[in-house]
Amino acid sequence: MPARQLEAAVRREGGTSIIELRGEIDGLAEEAMNAAYAEAEEGDPQVILLNFAEVDYINSTGIALIVGLLAKARAARRRMLACGLSDHYVEIFDITRLSDFMNVFDDEASALEEAATA
Amino acid sequence: MSEHGAEHKQPRDAAHWAQPSGALRVRDAPEGALNLNVEGRRVVGPLQGFGRMWQKTYRVRLEGSDATPEEVVRVWKAEFPKLWPKGALFHTPRAGIAPGEVALIGSDRPGSRWIATGIMVLYADDVSFTYICPEGHPFSGWITFSSHRDDDGVTVAQAQVLIRANDPLYELMMPLALHKAEDDQWRHVLESLAARFSVAGCVETERVCVDRHRLWRNYKNIRHNAILRSLLHAVAAPFRRRSNRAKGRES
Repeated sequence: MPARQLEAAVRREGGTSIIELRGEIDGLAEEAMNAAYAEAEEGDPQVILLNFAEVDYINSTGIALIVGLLAKARAARRRMLACGLSDHYVEIFDITRLSDFMNVFDDEASALEEAATA
Repeated sequence: MSEHGAEHKQPRDAAHWAQPSGALRVRDAPEGALNLNVEGRRVVGPLQGFGRMWQKTYRVRLEGSDATPEEVVRVWKAEFPKLWPKGALFHTPRAGIAPGEVALIGSDRPGSRWIATGIMVLYADDVSFTYICPEGHPFSGWITFSSHRDDDGVTVAQAQVLIRANDPLYELMMPLALHKAEDDQWRHVLESLAARFSVAGCVETERVCVDRHRLWRNYKNIRHNAILRSLLHAVAAPFRRRSNRAKGRES
């Protein structure tokens, strides 16, 4: 199966920046992830939501990239949420204990609902 | 709060990750290995530690070697303990470097300069593998060993750590000793790996502070500190021997 290089698109809903991720999160995704995060930070949002619904592969280097973004968000006192993860990646977030710091939701609507009420 | 359940097919990386498990369990600890700071501990990623978060990358180009990345990683996994500096002991799990396997580090032999700790294999595929640390280890975080071809077609071997010092004592030790010890360790490993492929490799190092903040709420991690517990274990050794001899006489 050919690798699907990561594409990341950013849009805004209220005080939340949403980063829609598509493809594979591995070492090659660093530039796209960091560029998307920088764009998501414009406008000083309170919450950044990572939407993984179209992500079909994450390796350990990819998890490290996500940790890096989470560290940046926490340093800037922003909340980071995640949605659209398959059960497998929810498990990975549990094993790596990312989920201690990032709430994970089924879908974008429920994540945005939480972002709006918090 | 974790509301999940989105419908997806099983991704192709599924077999490469460790399965979730609450506490670490060491199966068949090898003779001489001290399972003092691993059994029953949880793993800790870079978010559970105390100190500043660092990403350090050590890289060597295997110029002149025709080894593929897959071959490099296969050798790296198979010969991992041999590549370590003299005196450091890594007890490879019986099942090898495979997802979920737990390895002990250090020894209870007199004169060992290493603390008793360990790692869990978090991820392993054909071109990379990742270790995650247990509570009490000097670092909370993980290290990924990988190999790839660079733009010139040369095979590169790389070790990349993403870590925080696990508690305030380790954080104090970072500038005094731990940074250097870690740099020396992984440079040695990469030089040994390069030598294994008949290459006199020059190891490049990059160090980036990913998060300058210290996580003060995690200061209590010190209760698991493997150095302190290993020291106490060593200090108490004569008393344990005396107690065991007394028990032996009674029975």
